Formats: sequence, C-alpha cells, structure tokens
Amino acid sequence: MSAIAHGDGQRHGDHPPAAHASSRVPPVLVGMYLFIASEAMLFGSFFAAYFFARVSVGAETWPPEPFELPVFLALLNTIILVTSSFTIHWALQSIKRDDRAGLIAGLGLTFLLGLAFLLIQAREYTRLGFSPRDLGFGSTFYGLTGLHGLHVFVGLTLLAIAFVRAVRGHYSARNHQGVELPGIYWHFVDVMWIVVYTTVYVI
Amino acid sequence: MAVRVEEQVLPTWKDGAVMRWVTSVDHKKIGLIYIWSAFVFFVGGGSMALAIRLQLAQADQEIATQGSFNALTTMHGTVMVFLFAMPLLAGIGNYLVPLMIGARDMAFPRLNALSLWIYMIGAIVLLGSFGAKGGAAQAGWTAYTPLSGPDYAPELGQDLWILGLHLVGISSLLGSINFLVTIVNMRTQGMSWTRIPLFVWSMVAQSILILLTIPVIAAALLLLLLDRQAGTSFFLPDGGGSAVLYQHLFWFFGHPEVYILVLPAFGIVSEVIPVFARKPIFGYKAVAFSSLGIALISMIVWGHHMFTVGLGDGLNGFFMVATYLVAIPTGIKVLNWTATLWRGNLTFRTPMLFAVGMVALFLIGGLSGVVVANYPVDYQLHDSYYIVAHFHYTIIGGMVLGIFAGLYHWFPKMTGRMYDERLGKWHFWLFTLGFSLTFVPQHMLGLMGMPRRVYTYDREGLFEVYNLVSTIGAWLMALAVLIFIVNVVRSWRSGPRAGSDPWLADTLEWYASSPPAEHNFDSVPYVASHRPLRDLRRRLGGERDG
Ligand SMILES: [Cu+2]
Repeated sequence: MSAIAHGDGQRHGDHPPAAHASSRVPPVLVGMYLFIASEAMLFGSFFAAYFFARVSVGAETWPPEPFELPVFLALLNTIILVTSSFTIHWALQSIKRDDRAGLIAGLGLTFLLGLAFLLIQAREYTRLGFSPRDLGFGSTFYGLTGLHGLHVFVGLTLLAIAFVRAVRGHYSARNHQGVELPGIYWHFVDVMWIVVYTTVYVI
Repeated sequence: MAVRVEEQVLPTWKDGAVMRWVTSVDHKKIGLIYIWSAFVFFVGGGSMALAIRLQLAQADQEIATQGSFNALTTMHGTVMVFLFAMPLLAGIGNYLVPLMIGARDMAFPRLNALSLWIYMIGAIVLLGSFGAKGGAAQAGWTAYTPLSGPDYAPELGQDLWILGLHLVGISSLLGSINFLVTIVNMRTQGMSWTRIPLFVWSMVAQSILILLTIPVIAAALLLLLLDRQAGTSFFLPDGGGSAVLYQHLFWFFGHPEVYILVLPAFGIVSEVIPVFARKPIFGYKAVAFSSLGIALISMIVWGHHMFTVGLGDGLNGFFMVATYLVAIPTGIKVLNWTATLWRGNLTFRTPMLFAVGMVALFLIGGLSGVVVANYPVDYQLHDSYYIVAHFHYTIIGGMVLGIFAGLYHWFPKMTGRMYDERLGKWHFWLFTLGFSLTFVPQHMLGLMGMPRRVYTYDREGLFEVYNLVSTIGAWLMALAVLIFIVNVVRSWRSGPRAGSDPWLADTLEWYASSPPAEHNFDSVPYVASHRPLRDLRRRLGGERDG
C-alpha cells in the first residue's frame, strides 16, 4: 500500500520524487495497463480462431445458411455500452472535483447500462436458434461474444465494489484510484465490444 | 477505552516456523520457496527422463508400455517447462530483482504470494493427472489436436493437464506484471534505465514475452477444453474447426517460451562473466537491447515448428528468414560475452565454469537450430531425434547451465555461506560430460531417421549403440545433480561464512548483508553507473579494476 502512497505523492507533486518511485505513473495503474495488454492478446487469439473458422468453413455467405444474426439488437447493445463509457468518465471527473453525488450517480448509471447489456445478450443467446455445437460458426460466435460477455461480468463486479465504496465515502478528490482502475478496465471492455461487433455482426 | 501499551503480544498462528514461510509476502522467502519447489520438480521430471532413457537403453525393452511411455514423455516435458524451468526463474528473479534495484520488496507483495500459491495448486492439479483413471495425459507436451481431443484422449488425465497448465499460466502472468511494475516503479535513486543490472534487463524482456504469449496458450487450452467438454469444434475438423489453428496458437506461445526460459539465463551469464573476468561487460547497451530484440523477433517465428503442415513456400520462406534474424541479436550477445572474456583477469570458479559452458553449449544449440530453420532441411529432420537433441541443447545447455551458474554465484548471498568449490567443479564436469554423451548421439539418431516419442526401435547396429550411450550419459547427469544436492545441503549447514560481497561484484544486491535482512537495505548508495559498488570502492580509495 505504501507504493500507492508514493504514487499519489508523485502525481500531486508536493515533494521531490521519493526513493523507489522511479515512475510518474502509480504502480497499480502501470499494472492495470500491462494486464490490459495481456487481455488484448487473449482477445486476439479468439479473433484468430474466428477468422480461421470463417476461412476454413468456406461458406459463400457469412453467417452461413441458414443462420442469421440479430444485427439491430446488437447495435442497440453497442449504443448502450458506448454510452456507459461516457457515464464512467463522468463519475471519475466528478470525484476529481470532490463531487460525491456525481460519482455515485455516474457509477450507478454505468452499472445499470452494463447490466442491461448483459441481459440483452442473454436474451439474444436464447433466441438465436443455433448453439456453440453448430460447426465452427457457432463455436467461434459464442466463443468471441461469450469471452466479451465474461469481461462485462468482471467489469460489473469491479463497478459494484467501487459503487459500494463510493456510497460509504471512501473516495475523495485526492484518493480515487479505486474508481480509476475499474474505469480503465471498463473503457477496454467497451472498445473491445466495438471491435467484436464490427467483426461478428457487420463485416 | 484504555489501551495498555505494555501488554505482551501473544504469539499467533502465524508465528510457527512453517507458517512464517507459508504466510510470508517477503520477496526473498517467496523466491526461495519457488527455487526449492521448482528443484523438487526438476528431480521429478529428471526421474521421468531417466525412466525414458532406461526404456530406450536397448531395443524391445519392457520397462514402459506404449501408453505409459507416452505419458512419461508428455509429463517429462510439461513438468520440466512449467513446473521446473519457469518457476525456478521466477524464484531467482524474485530473490534478486528487488535487491538489484535497491528496493524494499516487489511492487505488489501480496500478489506475489498469490502467484506462488496458484503455482503450487496448479502443480498439484497437473501431477494429479497421474492419478486419473486411464493414467496421465499422453498427447505430448504440445497436446496437438485431434490427438488431445475428445475422440483420441477421452480420459480425465488430459483435462487435469489442461487445468493445471491454466493455473500455472495465470501464476506466471501475474508474476510478469509484478516484475514489470517493480522494475518500472521501484528503482532506487539514480538508477536510470541504462544503469539497471543486465539480469534485470533480461527479466524485463522475459516478462514482456510472458505477458504477451501466455494469454495465447491460455486461449488455446481453454478452447481445447471446450472442444473436449462442451461439444464445440474450434480445433476439430469434423465440425468445421481447424487442427492447424491449434498449432498456430500453441507455437505463438511455444517459440517465445524458449526465450522466456533462456533470456534470464543470458542475464545471469551477463552478470557472472564480468565479475570473474574482472572487467566491465563489453557493450552494456548492446547486451541489454539485444534482449528486447530477441523478445520481439521471437514472436514472429513460430511457423518454423509447422514447416511440414503445408503452409506453402511463401509462409515457410517468411518464417525461415525471420528465424535466421534471431541469430543476429543472439550473436551480438555471444560476441559481447567473448569480448568481455578477452584479456580479462579470469578466475574459473564454479559460477564462471557454468557461465562459459553455457555460452559454448548454447552456441551449439543455436547453430543446430539454424540448420533446421531451413525448411527443406526441416522436411527431413522434423519430429526426429535431431530436434530432441537440438532443443535440449538450447534448454539444458542454455538455460539449465545458466541457472546453475546463478545458483552458485548467489549461493553466498542467499545463505550467507560459501559452497564447496571442489564439489562444484565435479558437478560441472560430470554434468557437461553426461550432457554431451546424452545428446550428441541423439543428433546422429535423428539424422539416421529415428523419430521422437517412440518407445522402441529396430535392433540394428548404430541405433543400439547411440541409444545406449545416450542412456549412460543421462545417468551421469543424474549423478552430477546428486553431487550438487550434497554440496548445497552440506554448505548451507556448515559452509564457511561468506561476507556481503565475496566476489567483489558490482551490483547492489552485494551491498546488502548475506543473507539480506528482512528489509533488505538500511541505506542504498546513490547509483551513478551500472556498477554502483565499483564506484563505491573507488570512492573509498580501494582497488582499481576495470
Ligand atoms: Cu521455435
């Protein structure tokens, strides 16, 4: 924890760099960025699987006959997630101004939007009419969207923790790393969805 | 409420000797637990190798059946790579990195302990594969589909193998993040990026590789598990999946894995050679940045494991040329080590013997690799004993010798005592002799056409001779390791006391006492070059080396 304290001191620049604080970016943030790099590689592997199936199945149309994808429902979900990127940003900006009400509202809204996304995806899954067992197409479709859904779920868990801590008054203008971290993760999940959506539903 | 300050603190459940280690978040204790347990797995994986060599000592032996032989080769490879090699390097890194950069501990001590214990659980799950109905996994350490798929490996052993690897992979991934953050954030005052020890540079390159490639093998194993248990068809051709995809994902991780193992050994050698040549390393920046160069290039060469799959001349040619490129940064390192030795004041203590031996043997492994990187040649040698010989030269000749160099070099630091020089030299000469006897003949076996992973072979002149020599060599290596164990146990208990800097080395870990105090340093000198202790000695008017 002392490492975090060093980081904060650095950022606010009220004393010269302490020993063992050889970076301007606090350790937990560096750790989070590195973790996201590895997450990107994980998604990359699933994309590789997706394109491999798409090429090796060799169907003339994609999705192959007779499967169909609910493009507009997924578009709705895209709009929901993109909106949630703005609300989490708002939450973070609020606490930087010491506006706790804004923080709680922002976090709450983001959580609800994320939850709506997951519920809509669950609904979509039950009505698609194909399963992960249906050829490379079914496997990779569920693989990619499922992996993303799992990340939304993890993001929601982090947001829920941040929300409870926000209500209990743990954050302030000086101390809000607990909001910043899930925020970075959430932005990543959103960006990943845009790529998944474009790949799976649009092209 | 009144608080009585003088109240005696009662011992808690954490105060027993065992629990002090188990609950520790100190990087040195965690490092030692990693080293000890990885060494136990080294002995375990080595025993499997001895069993393999016994079965192959003569034709038509019946020590192992076809099935149990496959399980032995599979588990030998997996245990050596994932339970011995990676954790042992994690242990050495854990012990040394914070000391070398003048830090109190790793950036995230509790995450560090979590990585350690996830590794332990993963190891138990992986070895639990032996207890499963139908025996341990048999699909090879590469677990190619469809061999590892539901049709050909329906037993539970393969699933435990997958789950165990998942856990060990997560452990390495968390560890790599911890190392990178530690090195980015925790360097002491004055220690800029061109002043960190070369071992720390090698850990930077290794951690980047782990960070970017472990997720890929994790994905491959996850999809394989789904194919086996959930009826998907990612890798199963019958359902429109692709077995070649599995190979791509596996080797995208598999080739960099070689450098995940070998880069820290390069780092160790880059620390040991200057100390025993009494010269600064030749070309610090070249050695440091060639680590990064190797790491980056190693991520675009994986196709050389798949030349016989039928990628076509275009891709095969690309992977061939890319593989040749790795020889450039590797050659730079070899050149720099040689130049450091050149006209140095050499003393051949045990760490130095292992370091120089590593350079020589890894060079042979590298050159035999350049031979098979040529894909028409590989058509002939693919999956033969030549490949087995080649990669054991890089992994044992490269990594294991490097690790031994490091263990001897830092033994006085970790234990406060000096090892026995005579036993150390016996260890080196017996080990390298046994190693050469084991693996030189395997090159020939491969050229004669003996495929890898077969449990017996034809009764025919040279096949029998080479195999017998190889088996004798393997047992010599085992004897050498036994000598090492005796040396460590004896010296740890009653070796002569070593001071804080017995080698007159230049890096910060030698500024701490031996073994270092729980908090590492009372103070750290300001770092003004990559040889802070040499600077300190000069300021105090001492010796004039280098
Ligand atoms: Cu390779």
